[in-house]
Amino acid sequence: MTRVLLISGPPGCGKTSWILNQLQAHRGPCGYLRLEGFTAAELQQAPDGGIDRAFLVDQCPGLLDLAEPGENPASRPQDLLALIELPQWQAPPEAGLAGIDPRLLPPLEALQLLPQRHLSFGRDAELPAQDTLQFNALEAWSLDLTHSVWDPPSLNSFWFELVNGAYGEVYRAKALMNLPDGRSFFFNWIVSQEGTQFLPLERVAPPVGRPQRMSRLVVQGKHLDAAGIEATIADGLLSDAVLELQQAPQRPFGAPLPATR
Amino acid sequence: MAHAVISCLHANLAATEAVLSDIEQLGIDRITCLGDLVGYGPQPNEVVELIRARQIPSCQGCWDEDIIEGLNSCECSYPSQLAERRGQRAHHWTAAQLSEENKAFLASLPLSLRRDRLLFVHGSPNSQHEYLLPDMNAFAALERVEAAQADTLFCGHTHRPYVRELREGVIKLRLHRAVANPGPDIEREVDLPVRRIVNAGSVGEPRHGGTSATYVIHHEQDDSVEIREVPYDVERTCQAIVAAGLPPLFAWRLRHGFEYAERADDASHVCER
Amino acid sequence: MARWALLSGLRGDLTVYAAVQAELRRQRVDTLFVLGDLIGPEREANALLERLQQPRRGDLQPHCLYGWWEEQLLAERGFRGERRADALRQSGGEAAVAALLQAVDPVHMAWLASLQFGFVELDCALLHGSSADVGDSLTADTAPLQLLDRLTRMEANRLFTARSGEQFCVELCGGGIESRLRDLEGERQQHQSVPSRKVIGVGSGLHYTLYDPGSDHIAFRRAGGPIHATGRGFA
Repeated sequence: MTRVLLISGPPGCGKTSWILNQLQAHRGPCGYLRLEGFTAAELQQAPDGGIDRAFLVDQCPGLLDLAEPGENPASRPQDLLALIELPQWQAPPEAGLAGIDPRLLPPLEALQLLPQRHLSFGRDAELPAQDTLQFNALEAWSLDLTHSVWDPPSLNSFWFELVNGAYGEVYRAKALMNLPDGRSFFFNWIVSQEGTQFLPLERVAPPVGRPQRMSRLVVQGKHLDAAGIEATIADGLLSDAVLELQQAPQRPFGAPLPATR
Repeated sequence: MAHAVISCLHANLAATEAVLSDIEQLGIDRITCLGDLVGYGPQPNEVVELIRARQIPSCQGCWDEDIIEGLNSCECSYPSQLAERRGQRAHHWTAAQLSEENKAFLASLPLSLRRDRLLFVHGSPNSQHEYLLPDMNAFAALERVEAAQADTLFCGHTHRPYVRELREGVIKLRLHRAVANPGPDIEREVDLPVRRIVNAGSVGEPRHGGTSATYVIHHEQDDSVEIREVPYDVERTCQAIVAAGLPPLFAWRLRHGFEYAERADDASHVCER
Repeated sequence: MARWALLSGLRGDLTVYAAVQAELRRQRVDTLFVLGDLIGPEREANALLERLQQPRRGDLQPHCLYGWWEEQLLAERGFRGERRADALRQSGGEAAVAALLQAVDPVHMAWLASLQFGFVELDCALLHGSSADVGDSLTADTAPLQLLDRLTRMEANRLFTARSGEQFCVELCGGGIESRLRDLEGERQQHQSVPSRKVIGVGSGLHYTLYDPGSDHIAFRRAGGPIHATGRGFA
């Protein structure tokens, strides 16, 4: 029988990390679903754009994507552990299942994923009480970086500037970024914690042209200078020619380029 | 007699004025400048004209060279593509702003200045682009001073002021020559001379964690060196950066005590050009 | 076990090269490095350049670097930007520049231009001059501080050099230096020891060097000479 657990909490409180721990500790099959949440007054939900899902799928091979359109509830394994992540600015008015936003119930019912339990960061003692910031007014901004590859030292400088306030007050920043050696890094930063979490994904792209997988930056904060961020990103991404120059030595000797094949 | 050494003004007029006024208040009238009068900052003409008006002997920095030679800066001296693009923007802006007369002045600057056994250079005696960082290999650092036949080498370029004394150096070696009748291997012990490197830091683009301008004073009487920190109106320069249309990031960095541009990772890199 | 032969200063002399190749066949050498100065103004170098590019059957495949003479030719032929053969012009005059141009058929220029400045093999740097310059002439009498600097720049434990034409080995085997640093954070003292490192001059022409990277054994040889007389090895 499928166990369905809904995890809610404000941005940056550690939902994804907690979920990763649960998934890795569970011996049977696992599924994951990320809900987009609702915009509260003055507080925009950050369009995650699939960063968390891509990260978890990379870290947990075989993870069932419960948002997949063709996913058939009937064919789910018997002992599936289904974890649903919900970004939510304010703590729910009531604990447990009664605290679930009623607007969520019809879509969850359609997916046959009505939660049996609901845990909320900042409310349930079972969850780590780390970063439940009090948010008042927040903007959210995101940029699709699919097919983009960074010059690594430029990425380093950009991230330093971003989280140190060069482009407005940033409270939360999260990203999946591609490097020329084929690696992709999950970047995770929140104002209340020291340092950024940088985690390399398990899957490495072959050194032939631009990677196809997801790459995205999501920023939440105040007075964000989107034009400034985009200008810096444009200066830090590699052109085709430079990318080729960096990838060529990584290919087995004599391997022809896709373009010249 | 005391003697002030300033470096890396980087077109920051407020910082240059504050440092010159500090030197004046200390009653010091001998000043040497180690170059990089321009680059990154918003007042290249004003700073060059101030140095010319005060008749301060200067050597040429890497930025001074690049502005007059066309964009000649070694690409490998930039730590990242981002820093390179920003540096190039600053270069084009500065080149367009500088008067022909001021360019001619920068072109006339020597690569080094020598006073007895004191040598003044921008980067290192090898190159305007070489960084003599405080933690550089001590033997390599000593070699730079020794090869230039100096007792004390004054340099800038790293934007971090320091005084480094190298002493009690000794190298033991075993020598084998292949000649027709090779004799026994020779063993020798070579004592190394005591030498000193003084980095004057930066007036206009400090990289010591704070926002103050830095320079050094050499007290010739007892051969001691003092590192000076001078607070100045950082906001005035930041506003001028934005008003000039230079990348606003330069103002942000300066305001927070980060440098305009980061240094290259390879400290001992020497441009081969 | 690997065994290298290192030579330099052929200056277009195919006879010398053939003599060395013949000798190497008998000495269980598996890798041949030619550290520059393949050409020179004294004689036409085309036959040698052809053999280096297309080894004869039985030849050890040579791995070549460019040396000071190649650098002069490449500069003069416009392969070094604005620079010309100024150093040669200064030391040997126009006649030497003309003789050098005469010695090499332009057909070889592309190959010469493709040669590298140095090789880094294991913890060894193989160069014509030094990390400072292709014309840096290191000898047994070079100041030890300078030798240590050249080793440090390459981050190598063994530096093989050819510019001086001498065969020598200087082993840095001890010593140290005190460094006192004062900055805005305060004062610190640091001691640095001399790392155990060697600079080896490989010789020129018939004089070449054998090196065994496994045992660090060096042997200086002269092609055509008695194999054991001048080749007294030492570790």
